[in-house]
Amino acid sequence: MSKFKVVHYINQFFGQIGSEDMADFPAEKRQGPVGPGIAFQQAFGDKAEITATIISGDSWFNENLETAKALVLEMVREEKPDLFVAGPAFNAGRYGVACGTIADAVQTELGIPAVTGMYEENPGADMFREKVYTIATGDNAAGMRKVVPLMAKLGLKLMTGEAIGASIEDGYLPNGIRKNFFDKERGAARAVNMLMKKLADKPFVTEYPMPSFDRVEPQPAIKDITKAQIAIVTSGGIVPKGNPDRIESSSATKYGAYNIEGVDDLTAETYETAHGGYDPVYANEDADRVVPVDVLRQYEKDGKIGKLHNWFYSTVGNGTSVANSKRFAVDIAEKLVSQGVDAVILTST
Amino acid sequence: MVAEAFSGRFSIQFIEEGNDRDVLLRARDLVHVGHRILTAPLAGSIKPWETPYRSVMLTAEPEGPMDLFSLDLMERALAILRETKASPRTVSQAILQDFQIVDKSLMESALMSMEAAGQA
Amino acid sequence: MKLELGYIDIKGIRFGTYNAVEDRVLVVNPDTLIEQVLEDPHIKAARFEIASPGEKTRITPVKDVIEPRVKVEGPGGIFPGVISKVDRVGSGKTHVMRGMAVVTAGKIVGFQEGIIDMSGPGADYTPFSKTHNLVLVMEPAEGIHPHEYEKAARLAGLKIAVTVGELARNIAPDETVVYETPTIAETFDAKLRGLPRVGYVMMLQSQGLLHDTYVYGVDAKRTLSTLIRPTELMDGAIVSGNCVSACDKNTTYHHLNNPIIEELLARHGKTLNFVGMIITNETVYLSDKIRSSDWTADMAGFLPFDGAIISQEGFGNPDTDLIMNCTKLEKKGIKTVIVTDEYAGQDGKSQSLADADELANAVVSAGNANETIVLPPMDHIIGTLDYVDTIAGGHDGSLRPDGSIEAEIQVIIGATNELGFNHMSAR
Repeated sequence: MSKFKVVHYINQFFGQIGSEDMADFPAEKRQGPVGPGIAFQQAFGDKAEITATIISGDSWFNENLETAKALVLEMVREEKPDLFVAGPAFNAGRYGVACGTIADAVQTELGIPAVTGMYEENPGADMFREKVYTIATGDNAAGMRKVVPLMAKLGLKLMTGEAIGASIEDGYLPNGIRKNFFDKERGAARAVNMLMKKLADKPFVTEYPMPSFDRVEPQPAIKDITKAQIAIVTSGGIVPKGNPDRIESSSATKYGAYNIEGVDDLTAETYETAHGGYDPVYANEDADRVVPVDVLRQYEKDGKIGKLHNWFYSTVGNGTSVANSKRFAVDIAEKLVSQGVDAVILTST
Repeated sequence: MVAEAFSGRFSIQFIEEGNDRDVLLRARDLVHVGHRILTAPLAGSIKPWETPYRSVMLTAEPEGPMDLFSLDLMERALAILRETKASPRTVSQAILQDFQIVDKSLMESALMSMEAAGQA
Repeated sequence: MKLELGYIDIKGIRFGTYNAVEDRVLVVNPDTLIEQVLEDPHIKAARFEIASPGEKTRITPVKDVIEPRVKVEGPGGIFPGVISKVDRVGSGKTHVMRGMAVVTAGKIVGFQEGIIDMSGPGADYTPFSKTHNLVLVMEPAEGIHPHEYEKAARLAGLKIAVTVGELARNIAPDETVVYETPTIAETFDAKLRGLPRVGYVMMLQSQGLLHDTYVYGVDAKRTLSTLIRPTELMDGAIVSGNCVSACDKNTTYHHLNNPIIEELLARHGKTLNFVGMIITNETVYLSDKIRSSDWTADMAGFLPFDGAIISQEGFGNPDTDLIMNCTKLEKKGIKTVIVTDEYAGQDGKSQSLADADELANAVVSAGNANETIVLPPMDHIIGTLDYVDTIAGGHDGSLRPDGSIEAEIQVIIGATNELGFNHMSAR
């Protein structure tokens, strides 16, 4: 059987180009293993061969993300490898993001399996652990000797098509896919041991982390709604026609604030939705269906509410990350509070 | 089968052309207008998410403002259902009958509790 | 309360013209046993078969698995309130026929019951591939209701297990273990001071037809949460009337050999103080769920426990009971570990439990019941493959033309047992 071919990606530091001063180093391909690649080559033995190593600077990659990705991808494509190995990046943030980005791209665009390694708090781990097998590492390169055999072993499994074990067996960070395995002790013994640790206030690891809920305690009810200033905030993507802030149709990175002083009705001529995740026909026909300015103006006139706030805030909920949503919310909430808004109507799609 | 067994004693909304999700949605709508749910809306341990039958018992009349506990349970049950990928299956008449028997038995078990509490 | 269990290691089963245990081999006359089963008019036909570890044998659909035992000394008999008269069990001396089981098989309703493979990949998932099994296959009388037949089949299995267990009465055990549980007063003894007070909350499936459990003969759904001595379970105080969810129902065998009780008793007086156990039900009616969990939490605080293990049975709406029990104990300052299994989908990506709470921060998982497995064809089928396509976790086309079965592991009896009986887990 011929040897499998492997391409390895490392940063300028592990590529022995230099440290932070060389972080702008653009990608370069070398034949054979470099730096940690030599340890990988030993771990692969005669089963696989590192035919090429791609080295790039952390800053260069992260600051030129799209072009960097395309360039490195092309370098990988030329080699026609059976496996792509990135890192390990330990706790180096930009290195981790680069490893995850390129490994993910190699998998989705070239159809070549990839493996990387990171410390669980590396921001790259959070971004890519569900897409790329990411071997758990310590927070610094002292753990190299331990992590290389694990990455090599998982890499070989990916190449041979051997079944991948549960995260705890093969050493990768939990990737959102639950997988069975046979533990050393039976469940009852594990339960008692876990309880003893919990009772002694010692650290313990739950076998199933509960999904995290971001629960918010409701505010007390408005005492007198006829005196309250009400604002509208939406994730339904309603924007003035032409989308002046260019809010993305999905995975939004921004929100818009739009003045509706003197506006009684959102019409098809003046407003539309930027949202890409639902049929926009009805929202475009009459944006009041998502941001009910018409009804609230009427309520304002009838004295049912105190006042409709002069601005509404809008973003697109479609695939928008929780982190971005939180950031928008903090911003918007500060503005609303400072402008004396008493209550908010939140609408989606 | 539940509809047949208990009609006359209770007000029954039988959703013939629908699935478990439709039953839960109808129950959720009733919760919105103030009815309180009396039985757990999630499926029993039988054929998880696969039995085509589902029954939920609610108070006959709205009991004032919406009951948040009921709403919470209904929404959680719906969320679970949304996550479930229904596997297409053809089921024989005999087995459908068995699913109905179990659905009915769950309601009977709830009914015993209601009767004991003097509510039925 | 002190119970001595004398284990007699059964090495095999064979049919004969009499009933006896000879050189650790069980000999039974199937004809006399069939006669006993057919005393119940709800059962039309019955036959016995033997399945031993390593054989290319598949048993399906399985209803219950029971370990034969006999009360040698002390009050009461095995399965009090069901087979024996009601009397408080859990003390004295009991003989156990270890390494064998009575398995009841045959159709109850057209879905749900599970599989035991005696060899092959499926055998790794069930404890009953390692026992010598005396299998009772039954057929219901014409026109009877499923609940009548479930009861008849349940009682037939228990009766046969008692008849077989009786054969071990005068045999010297291969191993003797003494299980002793303290009174509440004794849990305050000086020698136990300083050890954490640990309790066990055992949830019993009790939602209705085919979902029931009996305590001293009482249907658990008609009970309030209560205290029971761990050794009472070893004499059959709790029996299974549950024929759903093959993978995570507690068979009567599991109740007799509750591993959480074993682990806690083994550490009692050493690293912990096993104060006692509470049994509580899993019901359909919301007021019952609230009452049962309130009662459980109050009793746990009354005894009191510093910490508790909570085991579940089944899935779906019992997840609500599980989370209620867990959070109510935690809010009283009683630290909990819950033992459950997961329904994360065949791809392992779905949310594993139907209910969740951040206070449930210590979970032992018995595995993802939706993970798929291919069970190869077997030479010998005990029961029938007619229902394989429709048992929980099976699907259309589960049964392939060559006799192999592609299905989720939830078709296998005891695969994801929530008493922590097995080694399997998931991450």
